[in-house]
Amino acid sequence: MKKLAALLLALALMLGCCAFAEGDEITLDVIICQYGPNTNDWFLGSGMDGTNFVDKFEAENPGIKLNLQVVSWNDVYTEVSTRISNNNAPDILNIDVFANYAAEGLLLPVSDYCPDELFQDFFPSFIEQSVVDGVCWAVPDLASARALYVNTDILDEVGVEIPTTWAELEDVCQAIVDFYDGEVYPWGIDMTTDEGQAAFSYYVWNNDGGFVDAEGQVALNSDKNVEAIEYAIGLVNKGYTNPNPATQTRYDLQDMFGAGKLAMVIAPNQLPDYLAQKGYEGINYTTAALPVNEGATPGATGVMDRIMAFRDDEYPDQAARNEAIGKFLTFFYAPENYVGWVSMEGFLPAVNSSVAALVEANPSFEAWLKVLDSCKFYPTALDNWDAIKQGVIDVEQQALTGGDVKTLLDELQAKIAG
Amino acid sequence: MNTIPVRRKWEPYLWLLPSVVLMAVFVVFPIIIVFKQSLSEISKAGVVGGWNNFENFRAVFRDPAFGTVMLNTLVWVVAVVGLSTLLGFITAMSLNASFRGRKLARSIVVFPWATSLVIQASIWNYIIKFEYGNLNNVLLNLGVLRSAVNWRVSYQIEFAWECGVGIFVTIPFVAFTVLAGLQSIDNAYYEAATVELTVCTVLNIIYVFNSFPIIYTITKGAPANKTDTMVTFLYMRAFYDNQKGPATAMSVIGFAILCVAAGLYMVTAMRKEEA
Repeated sequence: MKKLAALLLALALMLGCCAFAEGDEITLDVIICQYGPNTNDWFLGSGMDGTNFVDKFEAENPGIKLNLQVVSWNDVYTEVSTRISNNNAPDILNIDVFANYAAEGLLLPVSDYCPDELFQDFFPSFIEQSVVDGVCWAVPDLASARALYVNTDILDEVGVEIPTTWAELEDVCQAIVDFYDGEVYPWGIDMTTDEGQAAFSYYVWNNDGGFVDAEGQVALNSDKNVEAIEYAIGLVNKGYTNPNPATQTRYDLQDMFGAGKLAMVIAPNQLPDYLAQKGYEGINYTTAALPVNEGATPGATGVMDRIMAFRDDEYPDQAARNEAIGKFLTFFYAPENYVGWVSMEGFLPAVNSSVAALVEANPSFEAWLKVLDSCKFYPTALDNWDAIKQGVIDVEQQALTGGDVKTLLDELQAKIAG
Repeated sequence: MNTIPVRRKWEPYLWLLPSVVLMAVFVVFPIIIVFKQSLSEISKAGVVGGWNNFENFRAVFRDPAFGTVMLNTLVWVVAVVGLSTLLGFITAMSLNASFRGRKLARSIVVFPWATSLVIQASIWNYIIKFEYGNLNNVLLNLGVLRSAVNWRVSYQIEFAWECGVGIFVTIPFVAFTVLAGLQSIDNAYYEAATVELTVCTVLNIIYVFNSFPIIYTITKGAPANKTDTMVTFLYMRAFYDNQKGPATAMSVIGFAILCVAAGLYMVTAMRKEEA
């Protein structure tokens, strides 16, 4: 009898787990990436002035429930592709890439769900990055920009100015090497599997090269690119950089910079927060534009992430679903919510309506917004961007172990374009 | 009155049922899925398509990095299993002798094996760091070194470090398996040790072949897959480079290789039972 009761209880529990309330309510599955220590608390804990995003949204939008999950960047790609494989894609996804999902017909066009007033609020140069053949597939959720951070104590002690060209950079590096006899690395370089594509962009974009040509066609082996990567590898071979660029990530470099062991590093606008969190004190530093090859147009590197909505063709009321997704976006980008979100982890905004409030809260934002204006972005609208990214990192790492840059880039171009 | 024999007949299977269900759900079923996916087209976003005529396997063999990775895997398995077996055997012999503080020595030896591999690999990563590495700090303070040495000056050396860490963490496993054999039988002392050693070596090959955390933590296979073994390589292909088809094909190849090792293990284990 006891056994029977236990069995029934177990069955009841299982059924309970499967049961869900339907009615007029709609539940949106949302995946948000974990940008930093505060993301989870803001969305699900009490980080939004004592409440959280989900509770506040559900209170203001009766009839819409959010099943929101904060996932780390390490896991999100696996999580999403597993869910797609199992026919269980989220309704709303926050991630960096979109082109594969769009190319395979998994996404809804933004125009299906984004209210027009909100759409006009996005920086146009950001929206462009998510357009393929005239259709916009995702909206930017935030951005960050990269700049050169210079330890002014070191440069002053050596008696050199901040370099603005590649030739000056080599002179400054040599002076630092001579002065400190190898105790301080002049220049930080990260060609790791984590972010080697950023290094590629720092050099090719400051030599009038790039991942694509003016027509948007993949052009990895241009003479400008070969020259730029040879220059970067040259810095390593001349002993101007951290010793192991293939395994020392940007975070390793940021730590070396914080400890005063690295004179110059290219890092995002959140570096000051990072150094403060890690307790690095006692170094004086300033930001500057990335050094550029003589005669080339400078190009800053911007990084942007996105929000997109997946199709769910089986859902009975598509109009209601689209409206709910629109309400989610409207709520997310409302200045009273969005300002907190962007500034919380030190990012830069993607909509005009929050700029004034952000600058008021933190005047240093203004300079970064100018940088953002001139930023170039990775060509993430290409559906083979992941192959390009992996390819350029592979080229860099092969070149570090003695490979010929021109041959390697020629091979990569043939593989990608052919 | 024949209920008892019937119960006897079925009872063992009833007791086995939970394990069989668990194995089916968490082992057999995923294996079938991977085999199926290795023969199917998988899109970059993860949509599984139809049969693609062994294209995933062909892509694996076309990949210029695959040869390097297989060679690395061979070096990794032979070096780690070979040296850890030798050193582990010696350790077991010494720990079997009676001496003061033997209990303490035994618990110290088990430490590396009882700690998570990721933690161990991260610690070693710090030890051999050039900039703030403990090894450099200790040697500098002792006056052995005049200036810091870059312990990771080339990828060959980095790979050697990874093998070294692998050996270090595997010694306890060998030592304790052999020690157990030595202690269970007093007579036929050395014979007992060698039988345990065969079983232990085969198991070790499987563990070491599948070992992921050390290489992933220390180099992530960089530069350009030159320090990857098959397991880290297929992980990077699947989850960094978005090539899920070739990655599943590679795991099927790895599975086949390990089946041979597992077969050897079963044959040895059965022989031991007969003996």
